[in-house]
Amino acid sequence: MDVLMPQLGETVAEGTISAWLKEVGDSVDAGENLFEVETDKVSVEVPAINSGVLAAIRVDVGATVAVGTIVAVIDSADAASAAAGEDAPAAGKKASAAEARSAPSALRPFEEVRTPTESFGSRKMAGGLRITPLARRLIVQGGLDVAAIAETVRDRGGTRIAAADVRAAAKEAPEPSRPPAPTQAPTPAPQAQPSGRDVVVPFSRIRERTARHLAESWRSIPHVYQAVEVDFSRVDRARRASRQAVLDRSGVKLTFLPFVARAVCMALADFRNVNATLEGDRLVVRDAVNLGIAVDLDHAGLVVPVVRDAEQLTVVGLATAIARLTDKARAGQLAMTDLENGTYSISNNGSFGTLLTAPIINAPQVAVLSMDAVTKRPVVVETDDGPVIVPRPVAVIGQSFDHRAFDGAYSASFLKRVKSILEARDWQAELG
Amino acid sequence: MNTIDQIRPNDDIDTDIRLDLYRRQVEIRDFEQRAYDLFLQNLVKGTSHLSLGQEAIAAGFAVAMQPGDKSFCTYRGHAHTLARGVPMEAVLGELMQRDNGLMRGKGGSMHLTSVEHGVMGSYAIIGAHLCIANGSAWRAQYLGDPDVSVCFFGDGTTNIGAFHEALNLAAVWKLPVVFVCENNLYMEYTPIGDVIPVEHPAADRASAYNLESIVVDGNDADAVYREALVAFDKARAGHGPTLIECKTYRHSGHSRADPAKYRPEGELDKWKERDPIFVYRSRLQEFGIGDDAIAAIDQASKDKVEAATERCKASAPPPAEILTTDVYADGGWAWRN
Amino acid sequence: MAELSYRDAVARGIAQEMERDQRVVFLGEDVAKAGGVFKATVGLYDKFGPERVRDTPISEQAILGAAMGAAMTGLRPIAEIMFSDFLAVCFDFIANEFPKTRYMTNGQVSCPLVVRTGNGAGARFGAQHSQSVENWAMMIPGLKVVAPSTPRDAVGLMAAAVRDEDPVIMFEHKSLYPTKGEVPDGEIVDTLGSAKVLRTGSDATILALAYMVPRAVAAAETLKAEHGIDCEVIDVRSLVPLDTQTILGSASRTGRLFTVEENPRLCGWGAEIASIAADEIFYDLDGPIVRITTPHIPLPAADNLEDLALPTAERIVDTVRRAMG
Repeated sequence: MDVLMPQLGETVAEGTISAWLKEVGDSVDAGENLFEVETDKVSVEVPAINSGVLAAIRVDVGATVAVGTIVAVIDSADAASAAAGEDAPAAGKKASAAEARSAPSALRPFEEVRTPTESFGSRKMAGGLRITPLARRLIVQGGLDVAAIAETVRDRGGTRIAAADVRAAAKEAPEPSRPPAPTQAPTPAPQAQPSGRDVVVPFSRIRERTARHLAESWRSIPHVYQAVEVDFSRVDRARRASRQAVLDRSGVKLTFLPFVARAVCMALADFRNVNATLEGDRLVVRDAVNLGIAVDLDHAGLVVPVVRDAEQLTVVGLATAIARLTDKARAGQLAMTDLENGTYSISNNGSFGTLLTAPIINAPQVAVLSMDAVTKRPVVVETDDGPVIVPRPVAVIGQSFDHRAFDGAYSASFLKRVKSILEARDWQAELG
Repeated sequence: MNTIDQIRPNDDIDTDIRLDLYRRQVEIRDFEQRAYDLFLQNLVKGTSHLSLGQEAIAAGFAVAMQPGDKSFCTYRGHAHTLARGVPMEAVLGELMQRDNGLMRGKGGSMHLTSVEHGVMGSYAIIGAHLCIANGSAWRAQYLGDPDVSVCFFGDGTTNIGAFHEALNLAAVWKLPVVFVCENNLYMEYTPIGDVIPVEHPAADRASAYNLESIVVDGNDADAVYREALVAFDKARAGHGPTLIECKTYRHSGHSRADPAKYRPEGELDKWKERDPIFVYRSRLQEFGIGDDAIAAIDQASKDKVEAATERCKASAPPPAEILTTDVYADGGWAWRN
Repeated sequence: MAELSYRDAVARGIAQEMERDQRVVFLGEDVAKAGGVFKATVGLYDKFGPERVRDTPISEQAILGAAMGAAMTGLRPIAEIMFSDFLAVCFDFIANEFPKTRYMTNGQVSCPLVVRTGNGAGARFGAQHSQSVENWAMMIPGLKVVAPSTPRDAVGLMAAAVRDEDPVIMFEHKSLYPTKGEVPDGEIVDTLGSAKVLRTGSDATILALAYMVPRAVAAAETLKAEHGIDCEVIDVRSLVPLDTQTILGSASRTGRLFTVEENPRLCGWGAEIASIAADEIFYDLDGPIVRITTPHIPLPAADNLEDLALPTAERIVDTVRRAMG
C-alpha cells in the first residue's frame, strides 16, 4: 500500500518530510504515527492508514514533494490493500467534448458568444485611410476595388471609408466592366528603363484612378466621333448683354458653357437614348438629366462632378451649379453624391484653344460632348444679295458616342438639334 | 434548565430509540474518521469540516425528528446529513468528487443536500441558513403543514447579523423553527471567550428574543433527544421557536487543514473522557443492552463504511456535460437567446 | 383598457398572481398595512389579508432568507427590498444563496421567488437611495433580471416573474411610479427575456432601460425631425435572459449601436451588450459603439446636479449626432 504525501491545508500543494518515526522493516499499526510533515503553516504527525510492515521509504527527511507523491510503501497483510493501485482519481477523467446535455438553449460551454469565424480583409486594406468593419465586409463580399473607393474618399477630403462609400461604388461599377481587383493588375508591356536625365513622374492617386477608368472605358466601348460647327453669334450677343447683370444678381460669370449645357438638356428631351447608361446588354434610358461637367484639376487629373436634374435649370441656374461644383472640385471638397449617377457629360476644352477634341466616354454613360474654342471665323451667310462671308464666333461641338447604344444617324440628329438650339433660340429672353 | 452537571440515569427512552441513537453516532464517527483518512490520501478533496466529537447532537435531533421535518446545517454537515438517513456512499462520493456523489460533485462537502431526506442544504456562509430555515417554517405555518424546521449552527454564528435578524423574525412571527447552537468552544481558531461577551453564546442571547435560555450537554445523546422532543412539540403546537445551546467539543481542528495546536494542553484529553460514543456505550450497558448487540452495531457500521469507500473509489468523476446543467429550472444555463 | 399609473400597475400585477395561485405570498417593510412607502402595494393587505401580505421588521437578510426558505419548500413568495441600494445589505442572498442553490444541489432545490425593489434616481434621495443597480444582479449566474418601463410591462413582467421557476429580481423605477399608461383589461402575462422595439429606424439602434426609455424615444424623434437621423429605439426590458436576437438583429441592420444607461459608467449593463456586439456583429458595424451613461460618481442630492448627471434626451441627441458625423 502506497503512503502518500497528504494535503495538509486547503491551498497547500507540497510538504517537507521533517522526520520518519519508523524504519524500514518496522511493523506499523493503523493509526500509529508514521512520519512528520512540515508545510509553511504547520508541522504535523501523519498516522499510517493501514497496518503492515514498512517496506520502503521513498522520500527522505528534508525533501519537499508535491501532495499525492508516494513517500513510502507499507506491505499490508490484507488482500484489500491490493486495491491501492487504482486510487488515482484521475483515471476516470474523460476528455469529453460532449455538448451541454439536454440544455434547451444552444449555449455551449466557452462559446457563450458566437465570434464570427470569417474575417474580411485587414484594417490596413485602405492604404492609410480608416475603414469601418462593415465597409471592409462589403468590399470583400462585393469584390470591389478598395483602392478606387479610397481614392474617391480622399478626393473629397474624407478620412474614413464607411458603408455609404462602398455602396455608392458598388452601384457605379457596371457588371461587365467591373474594375479588376487590386491584386490583379494587367501584365504591363515591357517598359523602357529610365536613363540618365529621364525623369520619373509617378501617378498621383487621382491620376491613377482616372487613368484606370479612362483605359477601361476606351477598351470596352466602341467610340465613334461626330462633330458640328456652331455659330455662337446669338449666344454671344445675349451673353454680353446680360453678363454684368448676372454677375451682380447671382455672383456668377457667364461663359459659353452653361448655354451649351442648356441646349444639350433641351435636345436630350427629344433624343432620350443619348441620356442613358449601358448595363450589360441593355440600355437604361434615364429620366432625369444628371449632367457631368469635366473639371480639370490643374493637370493633376480629372473629375466629373454632376449637376443633378439639370433639365430643370435655366442658363443662369446651370452656370451657378457648374461654378459651385467646379469650386468644390478644385478645393477637394466634392462629396460622394456629387460624383454619382451622371447620365451625360460635357467636356469643355474651349479654354485650351483647340479646334476639336474626341473625348473618352465616361462609362457607364453612352456619350460625351466636347466643346472647343469659340473663335472668330469666316462664315458664309446667305443674304438677299447672295452669299457673303462674315466673321462670326464659331466653335466645333463634337460628341463621342457608344456605337452599341445607337447609330450615327441618331447621334448626328442629336448634334444637329443642339446646334439649331444654340443658333436659333431667343437667349436674351431666357436671360431676362 | 439542564446543565452538564446534572446527568441523571433515565429510563424514559425506548430501547429501539437508544439503539438507533447509538447506531447513528457510531456511523457518523466511523464515517468522519474515514473521511479524515481519505483526505490525507488526497482522495477526499477540497475542504472538509468534521464533526468528530459532536455526533450526539446530530443523532439526538435526527432521531427526534419526523421524516417530513426539514433540517438546515452548516458546512460542518456530514453528521447531520448522515443522521437523517442519507446513504454513506452518496455522502462520501460527494466528498470524493465522484459521479455517485449526493450532488454528483457539483456542491461538495460544504453543501450536502438531500431534499428527499429533508436535508434542505448545508450552508457555507455563516448565518444565512437561519434566515432560510425561517422561510421553511413560514411556509409550514402558512399552509398548516405539521413539519418543523430545524437549524444547526456553531457558536461563532451567534455574532453575525443574520443570526439576530433570524431569531427576531422567528420570535415575532412565532415560527415553527428550532435553532440549535453546537457550542464547541472555538470559533474557527479562536476560543469563543475572545469574541463573545457572555458565557453561553446562544442561551445568553435568548432573552433578547423573548426565548427561554436552554443549555444541554451536547455529548449526551439522551439529553439532546429529550430537549429536541420538547422543542418540536412546542413548534408543532404553534407556540413558536426554540433556541437550544448544546455544549460539546470537537476532536479535530476546525477543518482538515487545522491540526488545532491552539488548544490548551490537556483540554482535548479532558473532553475525550466525555466522548459521546464512550458515554453512550456505557449508557446502553447501563440499560442492559448486551455487548454482542453493541459489537454488532459497531461492526455493521465499519462494514458500511468499507462498502461505501470501495464503491466510491470505483466511481468515475462527474462527466464534463454536467458542468453547465441545472443553473436554471429548464436544466440549462442560457442567459441569452 | 384603462389608464393606470406604474405604481398601481405593480399592485395589480401582484394581485393578479395572488388571486391565481394561493402559494403566492408577499413580504416586506411597510408593504402591508401602509401599502408600501412608494404606495406601490396599496390594497393588497385588504384584499388578501395578514397571512399572505406580511409586514416585516427592518431585516433585509431575514426578508430574503424567509423568501428563499419558503420558495424552497413550496411557496412562491414575492419579497420587497424597499430601495435597490439596500440589496447591498442582503447581498449574500442575491449573490450566494438564491442563484446557486439549484446548481449546487444538482437540481434538487428550486427557488421560484421574486425580489422587487425600487431602483434609480430622480427623486433627490441622495447617493445611497438613488442608485441604478440592475447591473449588480445581471452579473451573477443563476438569476433573472427585469426592469419594466411602462405600467403595462410592470404588470406583465411581474406575472412572468412570479410564474418563472427561477429567482427573478425585478427593478421597478422610483421615478416611473407616477407615470401613466394604457393597460388592457384582464390577465396580462409577458415573457422574460424579450426586448421591445418601440420605434423602427434605419440609421442607428438605441438601447435603453426603464427611466431612460422615454428619454431615448424623445431623442429619436428630435434626431429624425431636426437632423434627419432615423433611429431604432429598443426597450431592453430584460437583462437576463438577454434578448440578443432582437438587439443584435437591429444593430446589424442599422450598423450603429448606442446605449442609454442610468447606471454609472463602469460595468454598466450596456458595457456587456457592447462587448457582445463588438464580438458577434463586428463586420456589421459602421462606426464605434457608443454608451451614454451617468458619469462614474455617487449621485448628488440637489435637483440641478442630479438632473445633470443622468442622461437627458438632449445629451442623447447631441451624442448620437456627433457620433454619426
